[in-house]
Amino acid sequence: MTMTGSRVVREFSFKLNGQPVTVKAPPAYTLLETLRYVLRLTGTKDGCSSGDCGACTVLLDGRAVHSCLTLTAQVQGREVFTVEGADSRVINAFASEGAVQCGYCTPGLVMATEDLLRKNPKPSTDEIRESLRGNLCRCTGYVKIVKAVKAAAGV
Amino acid sequence: MRSLADVEVLTAETVEEALHLLGERAGSVRVLAGGTDLVVQMKHGVVEKTDLLNIYGLDELRYIRLDNAVVKIGALTDFSSIVKSPIIQRAAPVLAEACSTIGSTQILNKATIAGNIINASPAADSLPALYVLEANLRLRSRSSSRTVAVREFYKGYKKLDLRPDELLVEVFFDQLTNSHYGKFFKHGLRQGDAIAVVNGAVLIEWDETSGTVSDARVALGAVAPTVVRAEKTEEILKGGRLDKETVIRAAEAVQQSIKPIDDVRGSAAYRRELATNYVYMTLRSLAELVGR
Repeated sequence: MTMTGSRVVREFSFKLNGQPVTVKAPPAYTLLETLRYVLRLTGTKDGCSSGDCGACTVLLDGRAVHSCLTLTAQVQGREVFTVEGADSRVINAFASEGAVQCGYCTPGLVMATEDLLRKNPKPSTDEIRESLRGNLCRCTGYVKIVKAVKAAAGV
Repeated sequence: MRSLADVEVLTAETVEEALHLLGERAGSVRVLAGGTDLVVQMKHGVVEKTDLLNIYGLDELRYIRLDNAVVKIGALTDFSSIVKSPIIQRAAPVLAEACSTIGSTQILNKATIAGNIINASPAADSLPALYVLEANLRLRSRSSSRTVAVREFYKGYKKLDLRPDELLVEVFFDQLTNSHYGKFFKHGLRQGDAIAVVNGAVLIEWDETSGTVSDARVALGAVAPTVVRAEKTEEILKGGRLDKETVIRAAEAVQQSIKPIDDVRGSAAYRRELATNYVYMTLRSLAELVGR
C-alpha cells in the first residue's frame, strides 16, 4: 500500500450531471479540484477552500455540499450535479432579477437554490434566507438574490 | 493552504472491512466520515497529513431508529437527517434543535454525528444535547464491542476513551417522555454558520402534580476543555420550583462548573457572563413552557 507522501492517482466512477464519468485523480484531490483541473468544468468556484463561503457548492446525491471539503474518493459510485447541469429556470431567474454582479458566488447560490427548491418548491422569504445562510455574497447584495430564488420558485 | 494530492485514501466497502483496515493500520490512519472538519484541519496544517480511511460510503451506518424506547442513531447519519427526523423531533427535540445550529445547509448535509463526537471540539453543538440525553456510544473493533457513556468518553481536551482500532458505530439514548422539557442555546458571533462562543442544553423533568422539577440536567459547551455538566445548578433545580429566585440561584451556580479561556471568539470573562445569562434565560423560557 502506498503511503501518504507519495502521489497516487486512481480511477473513480460516478454520475456527473446525469452522465456516467470515469476520472483519474489523486484520491484526496477535492471534488472541486477534480471538477476544475481534471474534468475542466470551471463553473464551480473556489472561494475559501474551507467550507465557509459556499462558492463551491454542488449537489451530492441531490443535496448541497461543499466540493472543497469533499474528497474525490468520497463520490465513487455517487451522483454529482454541478452548475453546468443546473436547472435553467434557476439560472435564468438569477440573470433576469439582476442577482449577479461579479458573479463569483453565483454558481454556489444556484446550486444551494436547487437544493432548497427540491426540498421545498414554494419557500417563504425566511426559509430562503435560512437555507442560503452558508453562501456569502460580497457585492450583489442579498435582496436581489432572494428575489431571484422567489422568481425561480414562482412565489 | 496545503494540497492533499499526496494523501492516500483507503475506502472501506463494509463496516467489517473498515474494522479490519483499522485493526491492520491502527494508529497510522485517520477515519474520514463527512470530512467537514478533518479536511479543513489537514488543509490548514492543524493536524498532520496521514493516510485516511474513508467510511463515507458505508450507508449501513446511516439510520435513525426507535427500538423499545431507545433512540439509535447510526454513526454516519448527517445533521440534516437528524434535524428533520420525526423520531428525533418527538423523542429528543433538544437534539434536533442543537443540530440545526451546527452550520450551513452544506455542512448539515455532509457532517455526521460521529464526526462531531470524535472531532471533540468543546464547542461542538451536538454535544451539550447528547450530554443531557445521557447518550451512550457504541465502539467496535475487529474483536470487541463496548459501550461508553458520552460523559465518560472525554478525558480532557480532545482526549478520548477510544483505542486506535476502534470505530464509533452508533449513538443511543432513552427517548424523552411528555414530562421532559428541553432547550438548546447557542451564542455565536452571527446567526448562521458560526462556531459557538458558549452553547448549552437544559433538560428538566417536570412533576405536574407537585409543580416541581423532578430531574434536571444542564450541559455547557465552550467553557472548559470538554463539555461539562453543571452539577451544582442541577442540584438546586431538583425538587425545586421554577420561580424567579430559584432560577437566578441555579443560573449563578453554573460558575462552579466552568473554566473558560480567552480565545479569538471571546474572553473568559465574557463567557462567564454568557453562561449564567443563557442558563437563566433558558430556565425562564422552560418555566413558561410548563406554565410557571
